[in-house]
Amino acid sequence: MGAPAPPSSPSAPVQRTEAPAAALPAIASNDAKAPVASPGSAAPVPDAAKPPAAPRPEAAAKPETAKAATLAAASPKPATPPRTEAKQATQAKPESKPAARAVAESKSAPVAESKPAPAPESKPVAEAKAAPQAKAAAPLDLKSLEQRLKDTSAIGLMTKLSLKNQVDDLIARFRDYHRGASKVALAELRHPYELLLMKVLSLLQDGDPALAQAINASRDAIWEVLADRDKFLQLA
Amino acid sequence: MACIVRALAVAAIAITPAFAADDPAQRKDLTAVIALHGLPCGEVASYEAKDDREFVATCKDGNRYHVFVDKNGRVMVEKAR
Repeated sequence: MGAPAPPSSPSAPVQRTEAPAAALPAIASNDAKAPVASPGSAAPVPDAAKPPAAPRPEAAAKPETAKAATLAAASPKPATPPRTEAKQATQAKPESKPAARAVAESKSAPVAESKPAPAPESKPVAEAKAAPQAKAAAPLDLKSLEQRLKDTSAIGLMTKLSLKNQVDDLIARFRDYHRGASKVALAELRHPYELLLMKVLSLLQDGDPALAQAINASRDAIWEVLADRDKFLQLA
Repeated sequence: MACIVRALAVAAIAITPAFAADDPAQRKDLTAVIALHGLPCGEVASYEAKDDREFVATCKDGNRYHVFVDKNGRVMVEKAR
Protein backbone atom coordinates (compact mmCIF):
# COMPACT_ATOMS: atom_id res chain seq x y z
CA MET A 1 0.00 0.00 0.00
CA GLY A 2 2.49 2.62 1.09
CA ALA A 3 5.33 0.94 -0.74
CA PRO A 4 5.17 2.77 -4.12
CA ALA A 5 5.96 6.26 -3.00
CA PRO A 6 3.85 8.74 -4.97
CA PRO A 7 6.20 10.86 -6.99
CA SER A 8 4.43 14.10 -6.29
CA SER A 9 3.75 14.06 -2.58
CA PRO A 10 3.18 17.57 -1.30
CA SER A 11 4.54 16.74 2.05
CA ALA A 12 7.62 15.36 0.47
CA PRO A 13 9.60 18.60 0.39
CA VAL A 14 9.15 18.83 4.08
CA GLN A 15 10.37 15.35 4.54
CA ARG A 16 13.35 16.01 2.33
CA THR A 17 14.55 18.94 4.33
CA GLU A 18 14.20 16.85 7.40
CA ALA A 19 16.17 14.00 6.06
CA PRO A 20 18.08 13.45 9.27
CA ALA A 21 14.89 13.72 11.27
CA ALA A 22 13.07 11.28 9.08
CA ALA A 23 14.96 8.61 10.81
CA LEU A 24 13.94 10.01 14.13
CA PRO A 25 10.39 8.70 14.14
CA ALA A 26 11.74 5.38 13.04
CA ILE A 27 13.79 5.30 16.12
CA ALA A 28 11.01 6.83 18.08
CA SER A 29 8.64 4.15 17.01
CA ASN A 30 10.43 2.04 19.50
CA ASP A 31 10.44 4.82 21.99
CA ALA A 32 6.97 6.19 21.49
CA LYS A 33 7.42 9.57 23.19
CA ALA A 34 10.31 10.91 21.15
CA PRO A 35 8.55 12.32 18.04
CA VAL A 36 5.91 14.01 20.11
CA ALA A 37 8.46 15.89 22.07
CA SER A 38 10.63 16.85 19.11
CA PRO A 39 8.65 19.74 17.55
CA GLY A 40 8.10 21.45 20.84
CA SER A 41 11.56 20.94 22.16
CA ALA A 42 13.28 21.77 18.91
CA ALA A 43 13.51 25.50 19.52
CA PRO A 44 15.61 25.53 22.67
CA VAL A 45 18.14 23.10 21.27
CA PRO A 46 20.43 25.15 19.05
CA ASP A 47 22.82 22.59 17.63
CA ALA A 48 22.35 20.02 14.90
CA ALA A 49 21.43 17.35 17.32
CA LYS A 50 17.77 18.12 16.68
CA PRO A 51 17.31 19.51 13.18
CA PRO A 52 13.68 18.58 12.58
CA ALA A 53 11.89 21.84 13.38
CA ALA A 54 14.47 24.28 12.08
CA PRO A 55 14.37 23.92 8.27
CA ARG A 56 10.62 24.00 7.91
CA PRO A 57 9.00 27.42 8.10
CA GLU A 58 5.52 25.99 8.56
CA ALA A 59 6.62 23.83 11.40
CA ALA A 60 8.34 26.74 13.05
CA ALA A 61 5.18 28.76 12.88
CA LYS A 62 2.82 26.06 14.01
CA PRO A 63 3.98 22.93 15.74
CA GLU A 64 0.67 21.23 15.01
CA THR A 65 1.32 21.61 11.30
CA ALA A 66 4.35 19.45 11.64
CA LYS A 67 2.22 16.72 13.08
CA ALA A 68 -0.31 17.10 10.34
CA ALA A 69 2.41 16.98 7.76
CA THR A 70 3.70 13.82 9.29
CA LEU A 71 0.20 12.43 9.21
CA ALA A 72 -0.18 13.44 5.59
CA ALA A 73 3.10 11.79 4.80
CA ALA A 74 1.94 8.66 6.53
CA SER A 75 -1.39 8.56 4.77
CA PRO A 76 -1.58 6.74 1.43
CA LYS A 77 -3.46 9.59 -0.24
CA PRO A 78 -2.26 10.93 -3.58
CA ALA A 79 0.10 13.81 -3.61
CA THR A 80 -1.56 17.00 -4.75
CA PRO A 81 -4.31 17.93 -2.34
CA PRO A 82 -3.06 16.73 1.05
CA ARG A 83 -0.98 19.75 2.04
CA THR A 84 -3.98 22.02 2.28
CA GLU A 85 -6.08 19.26 3.73
CA ALA A 86 -3.52 18.64 6.36
CA LYS A 87 -3.38 22.32 7.24
CA GLN A 88 -7.13 22.64 7.37
CA ALA A 89 -7.51 19.55 9.42
CA THR A 90 -4.92 20.80 11.84
CA GLN A 91 -6.46 24.21 12.17
CA ALA A 92 -10.02 23.05 12.31
CA LYS A 93 -9.62 20.15 14.69
CA PRO A 94 -7.11 20.69 17.39
CA GLU A 95 -8.71 18.00 19.48
CA SER A 96 -7.70 15.41 16.93
CA LYS A 97 -4.04 15.87 17.73
CA PRO A 98 -3.62 12.82 19.88
CA ALA A 99 -5.14 10.58 17.26
CA ALA A 100 -3.04 12.11 14.53
CA ARG A 101 0.00 11.78 16.70
CA ALA A 102 -0.76 8.14 17.31
CA VAL A 103 -1.16 7.48 13.63
CA ALA A 104 2.00 9.37 12.85
CA GLU A 105 3.91 7.47 15.43
CA SER A 106 2.64 4.13 14.33
CA LYS A 107 3.18 4.69 10.61
CA SER A 108 5.85 7.30 10.28
CA ALA A 109 8.86 5.04 10.27
CA PRO A 110 8.39 3.10 7.03
CA VAL A 111 6.64 5.89 5.17
CA ALA A 112 9.16 8.52 6.11
CA GLU A 113 11.83 6.37 4.60
CA SER A 114 9.99 5.93 1.34
CA LYS A 115 8.76 9.50 0.92
CA PRO A 116 11.79 11.79 0.84
CA ALA A 117 13.14 10.90 -2.58
CA PRO A 118 10.38 12.29 -4.88
CA ALA A 119 10.18 15.55 -2.99
CA PRO A 120 11.41 18.06 -5.58
CA GLU A 121 9.06 16.76 -8.26
CA SER A 122 5.87 17.69 -6.48
CA LYS A 123 5.81 21.35 -7.41
CA PRO A 124 6.66 20.94 -11.12
CA VAL A 125 3.99 18.27 -11.42
CA ALA A 126 1.42 20.61 -9.96
CA GLU A 127 2.52 23.31 -12.37
CA ALA A 128 2.38 20.91 -15.26
CA LYS A 129 -1.19 20.05 -14.35
CA ALA A 130 -2.14 23.69 -14.14
CA ALA A 131 -0.62 24.51 -17.52
CA PRO A 132 -3.18 22.69 -19.73
CA GLN A 133 -5.98 24.33 -17.78
CA ALA A 134 -4.48 27.70 -18.53
CA LYS A 135 -4.22 26.74 -22.17
CA ALA A 136 -7.84 25.62 -22.18
CA ALA A 137 -8.80 29.03 -20.92
CA ALA A 138 -6.77 30.73 -23.61
CA PRO A 139 -8.38 33.68 -25.37
CA LEU A 140 -11.05 32.71 -27.83
CA ASP A 141 -10.16 33.07 -31.47
CA LEU A 142 -13.45 32.75 -33.29
CA LYS A 143 -12.01 33.77 -36.64
CA SER A 144 -9.43 31.03 -36.47
CA LEU A 145 -11.98 28.42 -35.48
CA GLU A 146 -14.28 29.52 -38.26
CA GLN A 147 -11.50 29.31 -40.80
CA ARG A 148 -10.44 25.91 -39.58
CA LEU A 149 -14.03 24.71 -39.86
CA LYS A 150 -14.21 25.97 -43.42
CA ASP A 151 -10.93 24.35 -44.34
CA THR A 152 -11.33 21.00 -42.67
CA SER A 153 -11.80 18.00 -44.89
CA ALA A 154 -13.50 16.06 -42.13
CA ILE A 155 -16.88 17.51 -43.11
CA GLY A 156 -18.37 17.43 -46.57
CA LEU A 157 -19.58 20.49 -48.43
CA MET A 158 -23.28 19.84 -47.99
CA THR A 159 -22.78 19.12 -44.32
CA LYS A 160 -20.86 22.37 -43.88
CA LEU A 161 -23.65 24.26 -45.57
CA SER A 162 -26.22 22.55 -43.42
CA LEU A 163 -24.25 23.33 -40.27
CA LYS A 164 -23.91 26.93 -41.34
CA ASN A 165 -27.68 27.13 -41.75
CA GLN A 166 -28.17 25.84 -38.25
CA VAL A 167 -25.55 28.18 -36.80
CA ASP A 168 -27.22 31.11 -38.55
CA ASP A 169 -30.60 30.05 -37.18
CA LEU A 170 -29.24 29.89 -33.66
CA ILE A 171 -27.52 33.25 -33.97
CA ALA A 172 -30.80 34.71 -35.18
CA ARG A 173 -32.44 33.43 -32.01
CA PHE A 174 -29.74 35.07 -29.91
CA ARG A 175 -30.18 38.28 -31.86
CA ASP A 176 -33.89 38.23 -31.11
CA TYR A 177 -33.16 37.58 -27.48
CA HIS A 178 -30.78 40.53 -27.20
CA ARG A 179 -33.19 42.80 -29.03
CA GLY A 180 -35.93 41.80 -26.67
CA ALA A 181 -37.94 40.55 -29.61
CA SER A 182 -38.08 37.07 -28.18
CA LYS A 183 -39.69 35.86 -25.00
CA VAL A 184 -37.22 33.03 -24.81
CA ALA A 185 -34.99 33.08 -21.74
CA LEU A 186 -31.26 32.86 -22.13
CA ALA A 187 -31.21 29.54 -20.32
CA GLU A 188 -33.51 28.10 -22.97
CA LEU A 189 -30.96 28.89 -25.64
CA ARG A 190 -28.29 26.93 -23.89
CA HIS A 191 -29.77 23.60 -24.88
CA PRO A 192 -29.89 24.24 -28.64
CA TYR A 193 -26.42 25.73 -28.40
CA GLU A 194 -25.05 22.62 -26.72
CA LEU A 195 -26.92 20.41 -29.17
CA LEU A 196 -25.42 22.17 -32.15
CA LEU A 197 -21.96 21.97 -30.65
CA MET A 198 -22.48 18.27 -30.11
CA LYS A 199 -23.36 17.88 -33.76
CA VAL A 200 -20.25 19.73 -34.83
CA LEU A 201 -18.05 17.78 -32.45
CA SER A 202 -19.49 14.44 -33.50
CA LEU A 203 -18.82 15.31 -37.12
CA LEU A 204 -15.26 16.37 -36.39
CA GLN A 205 -14.06 14.01 -33.74
CA ASP A 206 -12.93 11.29 -36.11
CA GLY A 207 -11.72 13.30 -39.06
CA ASP A 208 -10.24 16.33 -37.32
CA PRO A 209 -9.84 15.60 -33.61
CA ALA A 210 -7.60 18.62 -33.06
CA LEU A 211 -10.27 20.99 -34.27
CA ALA A 212 -12.90 19.13 -32.28
CA GLN A 213 -10.76 19.57 -29.19
CA ALA A 214 -10.22 23.25 -29.89
CA ILE A 215 -13.94 23.84 -30.30
CA ASN A 216 -14.74 21.85 -27.22
CA ALA A 217 -12.21 23.86 -25.23
CA SER A 218 -13.85 27.06 -26.45
CA ARG A 219 -17.36 25.90 -25.60
CA ASP A 220 -17.83 28.16 -22.58
CA ALA A 221 -16.02 31.07 -24.16
CA ILE A 222 -18.29 30.96 -27.20
CA TRP A 223 -21.32 30.80 -24.95
CA GLU A 224 -20.10 33.87 -23.09
CA VAL A 225 -19.87 35.76 -26.36
CA LEU A 226 -23.37 34.71 -27.34
CA ALA A 227 -24.90 35.38 -23.96
CA ASP A 228 -23.31 38.76 -23.37
CA ARG A 229 -25.12 41.51 -25.27
CA ASP A 230 -22.10 43.72 -25.84
CA LYS A 231 -19.86 40.89 -26.93
CA PHE A 232 -22.59 39.56 -29.18
CA LEU A 233 -23.09 42.92 -30.86
CA GLN A 234 -19.36 43.20 -31.43
CA LEU A 235 -19.45 39.78 -33.02
CA ALA A 236 -22.30 40.77 -35.29
CA MET B 1 -27.36 8.99 -91.01
CA ALA B 2 -24.28 8.46 -88.93
CA CYS B 3 -24.22 12.12 -88.10
CA ILE B 4 -27.78 11.98 -86.87
CA VAL B 5 -27.10 8.96 -84.68
CA ARG B 6 -24.02 10.62 -83.26
CA ALA B 7 -25.96 13.79 -82.59
CA LEU B 8 -28.71 11.86 -80.86
CA ALA B 9 -26.20 10.01 -78.75
CA VAL B 10 -24.53 13.24 -77.68
CA ALA B 11 -27.89 14.78 -76.92
CA ALA B 12 -28.93 11.80 -74.86
CA ILE B 13 -25.80 12.04 -72.78
CA ALA B 14 -26.18 15.78 -72.31
CA ILE B 15 -29.82 15.57 -71.33
CA THR B 16 -29.39 12.77 -68.84
CA PRO B 17 -30.79 14.45 -65.70
CA ALA B 18 -29.16 12.36 -63.07
CA PHE B 19 -26.44 9.80 -62.80
CA ALA B 20 -25.66 7.26 -60.18
CA ALA B 21 -22.38 7.78 -58.45
CA ASP B 22 -20.50 6.02 -55.74
CA ASP B 23 -18.17 8.39 -54.04
CA PRO B 24 -17.83 7.25 -50.40
CA ALA B 25 -17.09 10.79 -49.26
CA GLN B 26 -20.27 12.05 -50.89
CA ARG B 27 -22.29 9.23 -49.36
CA LYS B 28 -20.87 10.13 -45.98
CA ASP B 29 -21.66 13.78 -46.60
CA LEU B 30 -25.25 12.99 -47.50
CA THR B 31 -25.58 10.69 -44.52
CA ALA B 32 -24.42 13.52 -42.26
CA VAL B 33 -26.78 16.02 -43.85
CA ILE B 34 -29.78 13.75 -43.46
CA ALA B 35 -28.81 13.04 -39.86
CA LEU B 36 -28.39 16.76 -39.17
CA HIS B 37 -31.96 17.24 -40.29
CA GLY B 38 -33.05 14.58 -37.85
CA LEU B 39 -34.41 12.25 -40.48
CA PRO B 40 -34.18 8.47 -40.32
CA CYS B 41 -31.68 6.93 -42.67
CA GLY B 42 -28.89 5.14 -40.93
CA GLU B 43 -26.50 5.30 -43.81
CA VAL B 44 -26.74 6.34 -47.42
CA ALA B 45 -26.32 3.25 -49.59
CA SER B 46 -26.33 5.01 -52.93
CA TYR B 47 -27.18 8.32 -54.47
CA GLU B 48 -27.91 10.04 -57.72
CA ALA B 49 -26.36 13.39 -58.46
CA LYS B 50 -28.70 15.68 -60.33
CA ASP B 51 -26.48 18.67 -59.98
CA ASP B 52 -23.47 19.81 -58.02
CA ARG B 53 -25.75 20.51 -55.11
CA GLU B 54 -28.72 18.30 -55.73
CA PHE B 55 -28.92 14.63 -54.91
CA VAL B 56 -31.35 11.84 -54.41
CA ALA B 57 -30.02 9.63 -51.67
CA THR B 58 -31.16 6.09 -51.00
CA CYS B 59 -30.66 4.90 -47.46
CA LYS B 60 -29.94 1.40 -46.30
CA ASP B 61 -33.27 1.38 -44.49
CA GLY B 62 -35.04 2.06 -47.77
CA ASN B 63 -35.78 5.74 -47.24
CA ARG B 64 -35.06 8.06 -50.16
CA TYR B 65 -34.38 11.75 -49.80
CA HIS B 66 -34.06 14.67 -52.12
CA VAL B 67 -31.13 16.70 -50.83
CA PHE B 68 -30.50 20.08 -52.40
CA VAL B 69 -29.50 23.67 -51.78
CA ASP B 70 -32.32 26.13 -52.32
CA LYS B 71 -32.16 29.69 -53.65
CA ASN B 72 -31.44 31.08 -50.20
CA GLY B 73 -28.47 28.81 -49.72
CA ARG B 74 -30.24 26.53 -47.30
CA VAL B 75 -29.70 22.80 -47.47
CA MET B 76 -33.08 21.12 -47.79
CA VAL B 77 -33.86 17.48 -47.25
CA GLU B 78 -37.21 16.27 -48.50
CA LYS B 79 -38.64 12.83 -48.55
CA ALA B 80 -38.48 11.51 -52.11
CA ARG B 81 -41.17 9.36 -53.61
